[in-house]
Amino acid sequence: MLAAQAIDKTPVIEARGISKRFGNVVALEAVDFEAYAGEIVALIGDNGAGKSTLIKIISGALTPDSGTLAMQGSPASFTTPRDARDAGIETAYQDLALAPDLDIAANLFLGRELVRPGLLGKLDFYDRKAMRKRTEEHLRGFGIKVDSIDQRVDTLSGGQRQSIAVARTVFWGSAAIIMDEPTAALGVAQTALVLELMRKVRAAGTTVIFISHNLPQVFEASDRIVVMRHGHRVGTLDPRTATMEQAVSLMTGATAFATTAN
Amino acid sequence: MTAAASAMAAQPNKPLAGTRWDLVMRLGLLGIIAILVLIFSATATGFLTLQNLDNNARQMAVVGILAVGETFVIITAGIDLSVGSLLGFGGILVALSLAHALPIWLAVVGVVVIAIAVGLLNGTLISTAALPPFIVTLGMLGILRGLTQIFGNGQQVGYDAPRFTSFADGNTLGIPNLFWIFALVCVLAGIFLHYTRRGRYVYATGSNKESARRAGINVNATTLTVYAVSGLLAGVAGILLTARQAQGDPNAGTGYELDAIAAAVLGGASLFGARGSIVGTFLGVTLVQIMTNGLNLLNFDPQVARMLEGALLIVFVYMDHWRSRKLAAA
Repeated sequence: MLAAQAIDKTPVIEARGISKRFGNVVALEAVDFEAYAGEIVALIGDNGAGKSTLIKIISGALTPDSGTLAMQGSPASFTTPRDARDAGIETAYQDLALAPDLDIAANLFLGRELVRPGLLGKLDFYDRKAMRKRTEEHLRGFGIKVDSIDQRVDTLSGGQRQSIAVARTVFWGSAAIIMDEPTAALGVAQTALVLELMRKVRAAGTTVIFISHNLPQVFEASDRIVVMRHGHRVGTLDPRTATMEQAVSLMTGATAFATTAN
Repeated sequence: MTAAASAMAAQPNKPLAGTRWDLVMRLGLLGIIAILVLIFSATATGFLTLQNLDNNARQMAVVGILAVGETFVIITAGIDLSVGSLLGFGGILVALSLAHALPIWLAVVGVVVIAIAVGLLNGTLISTAALPPFIVTLGMLGILRGLTQIFGNGQQVGYDAPRFTSFADGNTLGIPNLFWIFALVCVLAGIFLHYTRRGRYVYATGSNKESARRAGINVNATTLTVYAVSGLLAGVAGILLTARQAQGDPNAGTGYELDAIAAAVLGGASLFGARGSIVGTFLGVTLVQIMTNGLNLLNFDPQVARMLEGALLIVFVYMDHWRSRKLAAA
């Protein structure tokens, strides 16, 4: 899905005029943000630019001082991550998404376990067999290879963990996935795996919003790049036409405002 | 994708490392128990008798019930130091109630309710007020021990309730009633922890509180539950000990927190959370009981068994520490 095609559609997520202060520090000042169905949006900016604050507001971890959020065109307000998740926005944090001591199937269903049919289900007994079977099918469908779905998550590699976290969000049919530095701690092969996974997520119709400091990766993987600086959105770039120099000059303030996309 | 996937599949990782470790520890524990039984059978007269087996079953029941509650707490990466004092407090309250001629059922229900309330108070301070479990339950240990001494006036509290005491002395199908209660507690706790969703949330909370919260698990409710269970079981253990001793003892349960924590940790519970099982804790309780009993029959000072128990606790925690560091490095 290309950004140009998405223009006339209603955004899956739309933030308007978002401001947030922490004491005297202005983290975000009247920021607009939008993400369309089936696109990969990269959010870039220097440290302290407000990327994480914006992401936290969209994912319900923070509430804005002013501004509005909308999902598929209708107003939304999140006071907890749970609210955002119920609305279809999942966040795949690198280390916070999974319970490392539990196995893969347990993690895929964490917080949404299937229960046994009948009386045992009413007594809160979970259905291990059914969850294992569906986990196996889903991982196979997604092309994620692990030695065994009974493996504890802390025995997986970083890329595998990230994959499981993302596979979980897609499994639960989210409208959008937010990934904060998804490849920060990964090697080359693992990074390729995660980028490939992002494309699969997009192919499944789910929007991907990701923060990254790795510009080559941002240009390789994203359909649209939103640039932040000092709490403002300073530009939107189309990775097919824009250059990394343009991105850097926006991030550092060498160029005031620029838009090559939308 | 295929290139990336095969690169990933070729990554050396350690499948089932955690599971294998648990199995090794479990078998090791069984081995130590077997060796102790062999040694004591050969050296301690009266060790391998039905009478002694009966004694062991009664003695381990009280500490065992405490240890099951402690296991719940430790799996969430918490600790409950107040269980021994709560046992003493519950024990003195039930003795006082019976001494004031309250019906047995009312005395028992009243103490159980109070014990759960103490557990909920611990849990609230730890979850909602976000205080460290170590401090909250250490403070509660002091408060409850003080209350127990004041209520008991520093003395044994006698009561007259033959049906109450005869239950603790009695057997059903040749097995002590106290042990039946312990076994029932183990079965219910094991089913809850290993087969139900809320039981799984106990592990998830101990594994990574933040992940659990983000997965939509009510971490505060889970924390409240485990401390309430620990409180409830400490109360039950106090009631049973008072019944067994046919009087309330204001010093009852002093130091039992060591027994409970040691049994859980020897049984594979990790103070880092997310590890531990009721079967393991049962084996841990058995090991401590057999060691104490055997050394006692060999006329060792009872404090020797206590020292060994403390030393074993440190050794096992060290091994667990080593395991988790190795896993983190992998």
